[in-house]
Amino acid sequence: MPETLDAGLIAEITLRTLAVCGAALAFAVAVGVPIGVWLGARRFPGRAAIVALVNSGMGAPPVVVGLLVALLLWRSGPLGALGLMYSQPAMVFAQVLIALPLVVGITLAAVGALDEDWALQVRTLGIPRRYRAWLLLREIRMGLLAAVIVALGGILSEVGAVMMVGGNLEGETRVLTTAILMHTQMGRFETALALAGVLLLLMLALAGLLTWIQQADRR
Amino acid sequence: MSGRVIVRARELVVRRRSRAARFELRVPDLELRAGEVLCVLGPNGAGKSTLLRALAGLSPPIAGSIERGADRVTMVFQRPVALAGTVGHNLHAALYGSGLSRAERDARRARALARFGITHLTTRRAAALSGGELRRLALARAFALEPAALLLDEPFEDLDAAAQESLSLDLRAALAETGVAVALVTHDLRRAVSISDRLAVLHGGCVRQVGATAEVLERPATATIARLVGMSNLVPGVVAEDGRSIAIDAEHRLAAACAFPPGTPVLAGLRPERLKLDVGRGETERLKLDVGRGETEPIGKGIVRRVVSDGLLCTVAIAWAGHELRTHLVAGRGLAKTLAPGDAVLLSAQAGDVHVLARDSGADQDAASSSGAASASASRNRSTVRISGSTTGRSGAPGE
Repeated sequence: MPETLDAGLIAEITLRTLAVCGAALAFAVAVGVPIGVWLGARRFPGRAAIVALVNSGMGAPPVVVGLLVALLLWRSGPLGALGLMYSQPAMVFAQVLIALPLVVGITLAAVGALDEDWALQVRTLGIPRRYRAWLLLREIRMGLLAAVIVALGGILSEVGAVMMVGGNLEGETRVLTTAILMHTQMGRFETALALAGVLLLLMLALAGLLTWIQQADRR
Repeated sequence: MSGRVIVRARELVVRRRSRAARFELRVPDLELRAGEVLCVLGPNGAGKSTLLRALAGLSPPIAGSIERGADRVTMVFQRPVALAGTVGHNLHAALYGSGLSRAERDARRARALARFGITHLTTRRAAALSGGELRRLALARAFALEPAALLLDEPFEDLDAAAQESLSLDLRAALAETGVAVALVTHDLRRAVSISDRLAVLHGGCVRQVGATAEVLERPATATIARLVGMSNLVPGVVAEDGRSIAIDAEHRLAAACAFPPGTPVLAGLRPERLKLDVGRGETERLKLDVGRGETEPIGKGIVRRVVSDGLLCTVAIAWAGHELRTHLVAGRGLAKTLAPGDAVLLSAQAGDVHVLARDSGADQDAASSSGAASASASRNRSTVRISGSTTGRSGAPGE
């Protein structure tokens, strides 16, 4: 079946995967890091409950997340009027829900691991507030990159949620994982293997790059 | 010392959080003036760090006030905190928001690094520094800001003797050059005395006495403070009929200027270095000749119990009038080489060196050993420890 091993098609699916996962990751980091920093640094009533919620969210099964998003976006659901079901925005939405607890949880753990005098020391040095925030991100950069690696791994490899809300539509919502699933079910193992190889290489390359950045100042 | 007041704490009460036991620190009145070195001395757990953090504005008071002008006040923590990145970055970050030009910031950074001898570490990662280097980084970073006041929490803690010595020299030089006001917390009396202009004594969660260093050493306000500042010879007695001496027992007296009426039970305090001793040649005349500074009165014979030398000082414990007195000799020479337990010695002291304390100040011994909260409430009920930054709190002892 040489016609199914179309390099152009594989490239197209790979790029779509990167676009969907990249958008979800960017959004999860942009929202999750500030929330994680805030949760890690502040003490207020109810914080423990929120942290527990975040921690259980870190282990939420993608299929369940997909189901929740599907219920929301279904034509008769609360957000059904938006007509987003079986579209890339729906996939991004579901993946953000998967990645967000991971980013928040790891960020807040990194902030919690900071020396408790860190914030006080920075304050007594009279460092301006905005620069303090930058210094804090720099201080927890190991944790931040770990959060990115874990979140990326989580959404790049999950299949349940994107399948449910994306629908694996050819040329529209088909990504690497859903394509592998489909080709395997159709008995096209060679294609499935090729796509799996691409997915693995992608994960290896991205995680390797992030790890290299993370460890840069250890050398 | 009559410099401008930079930080002043008045009727301050600070509560320390995140401890199993609630702890309250009370500061009746304490000020840090321009150009002075104020040492806060106290045993572990007395609230020294809490005081420093309050002065730095890091823990809001639950009562009273901390007055600070527009002056920059910064603090170096007991465990210095380095920012991620290089040593140079640490100073750069501290100066980033200072509003100074790039050239001026670079000049300050270079000056501060050189001042603490760590210029060669500029490109080293702060996380890879040794304890001593980290201390130097924290001090250089604080000095780079050129603050009006610097709060130092145990700056010599955890360093070996040689590192302490060299850091202390660099710190003194920096203080002399910049004229920055320093409040320095320590439990090391000798370090405190060697570096401070004024001393604040803290125990049991309350600042008990503030005054010029020599004044506090010579005239501690209570028996507990006396022990904390090294006045280890404290002998109970009664003010004699003449009012100019303290009767210890039927045979022993200590001449002392004293404001208490005859018959008052008191404690006679004498710093070890002010207790003179000589081996028994018997003639009191000789003793008077021996002692260069003024009149010393012979106070009787004692028997040496122990002689302990630490290589620098030799501490001699002597039984006298049913009590144990101590004195220090320079180790390795003179009497320090020849004295042995069981030897009889002649003791003498100057009347002006004997400090008379009210006996009831024994109450604050209990306070010091109990929890902070209990002693804080005890201090509220005691009027003898009214303390002010400008006049030394005293419990009835007269001046010279």
